[in-house]
Amino acid sequence: MKTESRKEALQYFFAKVVGPMNFKFTPDVELKNFLLEQEVILEAKHGISFCPCQPIRHDRARDMQIVCPCIPFHREHFDAIKRCWCGLFVHIDVIDPNSLPQLPPKDVGLG
Amino acid sequence: MGNKFIRAISAEEIAPGGMKTVELAGREIVICNCSGTYYAIQRRCGHMNAPLELGTLDGKYVTCGMHCAQFDITTGQALSGPVPTDLGNERLPPRVAAMMHKVAMQMQHVRTEGIRTYETKVEAGWVLVGQ
Repeated sequence: MKTESRKEALQYFFAKVVGPMNFKFTPDVELKNFLLEQEVILEAKHGISFCPCQPIRHDRARDMQIVCPCIPFHREHFDAIKRCWCGLFVHIDVIDPNSLPQLPPKDVGLG
Repeated sequence: MGNKFIRAISAEEIAPGGMKTVELAGREIVICNCSGTYYAIQRRCGHMNAPLELGTLDGKYVTCGMHCAQFDITTGQALSGPVPTDLGNERLPPRVAAMMHKVAMQMQHVRTEGIRTYETKVEAGWVLVGQ
């Protein structure tokens, strides 16, 4: 299976999911391509496109919460920091993703 | 060399996003309507031969209804293999568990291959498929 074709397909399907949640792909094209490539590798290994920045713990209930796009499972946190953990998705109004601080939940009044 | 086309189906029989199976010259073919453009693919999934028209078509991507392998209908390229099934915490009876283990051992050697695509054209309201 070719990585580029799979990346294109993942982009197509993810855009449909994240758009209605007011998120979009990061405008940082290099980062987007890198992260999608990692997801293709994880999918080839595990059958599921897990978030590339989270550990797989082989606990189904928990692991399902890091299947990309994992926004619905961590919505409050991502809404607060205007990005997802790995940075593949940012809020629709974000122009400069590098200006967004990565804050843990407790620093944004969660958890 | 010119390709010979066979009349397959009336174009209006398939709504955009829809799929329909036809048998042409002994071959099982699925005609896909991708936003008004018609594509023809082999009916059988490149993973375990399930009929692809029972899956879903989204844009140019068809997802098999059996194990969720995905293919690009414009090229026939396999994009992903099966999605692993989850039995949750259900404890299977020992004989069933042993059988599932055996099946899993064999399944790990199953490869997802690309699917064959066929040339199409629309003439006088009919979808024609190349041989």
